[in-house]
Amino acid sequence: MYLHNRLSLVRCYDGSRRPFCFVTFIVTYFVMFIVTFFGAFLLHFSLRVGGWFSNGGSNVVDVQELLDHHIFHDLGENVGRVKTILVKNADLVQRDFSVREAAGPACTLFYIDGLSNNMLIDAGVLRPLIIDSVLRDRIAGSTDSGREHRPAGPHQTAERLLINPEVKFADTYQKAIDGLLAGESLLFIDGVDEALLVGTKGWESRSPGETATEVVIRGPRDGFTENIRTNTSLIRRRIKDPMFRLESLQIGTRTKTFVNVVYIEGIAKQELVDEVMTRLESIQVDSVLESGYLEELISDAPWSPFRTVKLTERPDVVAAAILEGRVAILTDSTPFVLVAPTSFWEGLMASDDYYSHFYLGTFSRIIRYIAFIVSLTLSSIYVMLVSFHQEMIPTELALSVAAGRETVPFPVLVEVLGMETAFELMREAGLRMPRPIGQAVSIVGSLIIGQAAVQAGLVSPIMVIVVAVTGISSFAIPSYSTSFTIRLLRFPIIIASGTLGLLGFVGAMFVITVHALSLRSFGEPFLAPMIPFQPSDQKDALVRSPWWMLKSRPWIAKDVTRQGNDQMPKAPKNNGSGKADLAPDEKASDGQSHKSAQGKPGSDHGDSKSSASSGQQKRAQPAGTGEQKDKTRRSRKPKKILGGA
Amino acid sequence: MTTKITTAMFMALVINLGFAKGIGLTQGIMARESENDIWIATILSVLQGAVLMLITVWVIRRRPDMTILEQFDAIVGKWIGKVMALLAFVFFLGAYIAILITFVYHFMDYFLPEFPVWMFVLAAVAIPVYAVFHGLEVTARIAVLGVFSIVALNLLIMVGSLKDVELDRLLPVFETGFWNTVATTRHYDTDWAMATMTAGMILPLVNDTKSWAKGAVGGVLYGGILVLLWPILECGVLSAPQTGHYIVACMQMARSAQVGLFLHRYEMIMIAFFGISLLVQLMLLIFCASLAGSHVMGMKDYRGVVIPVSLILGGSGYFVVLNHNRAMSLLTNNWPVIALPIAIGLPLLGWLLGLMFKKKLAAAA
Repeated sequence: MYLHNRLSLVRCYDGSRRPFCFVTFIVTYFVMFIVTFFGAFLLHFSLRVGGWFSNGGSNVVDVQELLDHHIFHDLGENVGRVKTILVKNADLVQRDFSVREAAGPACTLFYIDGLSNNMLIDAGVLRPLIIDSVLRDRIAGSTDSGREHRPAGPHQTAERLLINPEVKFADTYQKAIDGLLAGESLLFIDGVDEALLVGTKGWESRSPGETATEVVIRGPRDGFTENIRTNTSLIRRRIKDPMFRLESLQIGTRTKTFVNVVYIEGIAKQELVDEVMTRLESIQVDSVLESGYLEELISDAPWSPFRTVKLTERPDVVAAAILEGRVAILTDSTPFVLVAPTSFWEGLMASDDYYSHFYLGTFSRIIRYIAFIVSLTLSSIYVMLVSFHQEMIPTELALSVAAGRETVPFPVLVEVLGMETAFELMREAGLRMPRPIGQAVSIVGSLIIGQAAVQAGLVSPIMVIVVAVTGISSFAIPSYSTSFTIRLLRFPIIIASGTLGLLGFVGAMFVITVHALSLRSFGEPFLAPMIPFQPSDQKDALVRSPWWMLKSRPWIAKDVTRQGNDQMPKAPKNNGSGKADLAPDEKASDGQSHKSAQGKPGSDHGDSKSSASSGQQKRAQPAGTGEQKDKTRRSRKPKKILGGA
Repeated sequence: MTTKITTAMFMALVINLGFAKGIGLTQGIMARESENDIWIATILSVLQGAVLMLITVWVIRRRPDMTILEQFDAIVGKWIGKVMALLAFVFFLGAYIAILITFVYHFMDYFLPEFPVWMFVLAAVAIPVYAVFHGLEVTARIAVLGVFSIVALNLLIMVGSLKDVELDRLLPVFETGFWNTVATTRHYDTDWAMATMTAGMILPLVNDTKSWAKGAVGGVLYGGILVLLWPILECGVLSAPQTGHYIVACMQMARSAQVGLFLHRYEMIMIAFFGISLLVQLMLLIFCASLAGSHVMGMKDYRGVVIPVSLILGGSGYFVVLNHNRAMSLLTNNWPVIALPIAIGLPLLGWLLGLMFKKKLAAAA
């Protein structure tokens, strides 16, 4: 009743309450609705008009509608449409001409200055259509009428006149403009409702040089560039296999970035390739400017600090990965190539592990594992011991630590966090500044500031040593992304250890381990082959076994046979007369080598080079059965050696 | 619950389940009863555990796609099945408390005596719950890591204490009597009971049915060998009366280990290894308690009850570990009485009922 009264009585301006008039309410509501509606309409209209004026009227036309349209017969209409779509593009070049010096149909060529190679346009498009077509007519004129040779459409033009090796046809403006913006030349012929896209791509690009992030002592010096085709050629140069596959797609509605997926059919699992393609094809973004975009869009664990896709700018690393059954994803405009699947341990492996002697490779690898543990835990262990478990430190060391910390006014946790942050700051500053200045910053930061901080009593000398060793250890990790992950994880472990002691340290490590164990990279466990333990892959995990022992590819490959049996080289037996007792094949090889050394025609290699190339040739033939083994052995015959050389 | 684990992973889980409490608290309790015969009691207990494990495997093998609780559902109906699930839940609750006692007293008494108890309990709940949400596969992988850490821990203790072993301290055998030694095995049986009850819950998630028995019994035996080192060292180095004086006998053992002059205290390294095994136990017990809890509630996915179950487990455990006397009294006097009837009774009942209602079990959906 109270509510009813409140609703049915309205308070008037004089303070009295009167019955609620329903008609008044409806009328008022209707008037408000009309006013609001027209207000919104006027606002919308004014914005549109403002848009017309501000954009010169170009946005009124829906560009997508124009792009979807079929190419016209009329050349003028086609030219007009292209200019409408690509309005205000100062680098769009238009060249009007006629085939056969005005005797043929009128044509218009469009290209983007800077994306297309002028020489190619001249030699591959303009010259054949304007000049060579006339010569061709003159030659053919003695037997046929010129009319029969007149090109009737783009296909005939492409077949008979254009000498450029790459010619495509576009029936819609979408295809035509896409090609034009990708660097191809767009050719319209009057009276023809198809356009020609001539492959004249050519722009300034960096030549393959040494990578900055993956430096090796021994190994190839070339690195990927920003040109995707250069990058694919760098891989193809290394893998001359007919089963090599390169699938292309464009990602990004506006950037239309070329992305190539590279693998070897038969070695890579088809499910893996399908999964990669599915993930890439499902990406719907407006732009892909670097492979980092793709990495985040196809990652198995987007919130994880661990990278489940490998990143490299070395062609040899990509080639090796492909040969192990992985899939590489190349993105145009970046030298960084993605490789999937990957495991955490790959971040601790360097490419020159495989090029150096296996003892050195193994030693370096073990050092890197130690570096990983030190980098992740040393600061936390120091904080934990000094803050909570002093009794665990040997007495002499405990006294040294105590003496060093005597003047330090901060708790150990604050001290470590401050030092680690300062170290990261110096690293970042050194990275962003020009190289000579960056080095100076590092030296000033590490030596002068560090020394001054110790002398001022702000940090203890042992703390400087701990942070420096931690930092150096993180530099020993070859993969920048793995190193970054470890740096990132170090901080929560330090905080947990500094606040909860051993409990915090164990808890933080356990949570990180659980998280890492739950990760997968394109379906494969991220911590394999350690966990789950793959006995067959241990030859190339903690240690790097010699190549003649690496008989099988990793677990991820479809075809795991990498090489034949009995690949271990054997020295010839000594027959007691001081000469080696060579096998018949090897004797022949020896003789042949001598001949070649004496200047046999067709060979300019010495013994050692021939032997080396024979070894390479032999390993290039995968052989698993006994018959294959025999073939492998036969490949050591001198004729093949010289042929191969 | 579709992810399957391998037999090796299952074996690793079994090894971990019998280890952490078995080397310390259990040995201390046993030493108070049968003195220097604890190593014999350990051997006898391992053999009993192997037999019980074999029975459990036989029961589950009848319907490899069903847990022991689901088999009860199929044979005796839903409501009696829920009662069985409740019994299993009670077992896992008690087992969790027993392991929580181990966890808290290791860390609190020997490393962080000034920390409040709730911090340890929070860690013992939050960290395993995080892992449980990732599923059994992740837990099983950590268990593999746990086995490596157990081996490392055993090597460390051997390196640090073999020089101090006096085998005379192990003799004479059966000093407190044969039957007393046999009776003492009940304490270590509660540890193996955790493994057999867990097997009853997770065996359907193990890949290869044929290798179940091998993996399960192998796990008990390998785990037994790894545990057996500790009572021998504890008696040989500390002596049985000393071992019986400590709540956490293995920590005292680890504290007395020394490698040279510089590494005179390395129990922290050992506890870091030990912690993995301990946390695996906690994870598995929360996982199995959640499975039993979801069965009682009639839920299909255990993840829905993980948080409430872990709160019940953690809350109960907190109450127990607050008082050392209460905790040790529970472990020594009450826990074997509660645990063993359930752990032995459920598989035997399952085996008997399965035998009687073979067709009904086979026909169940």
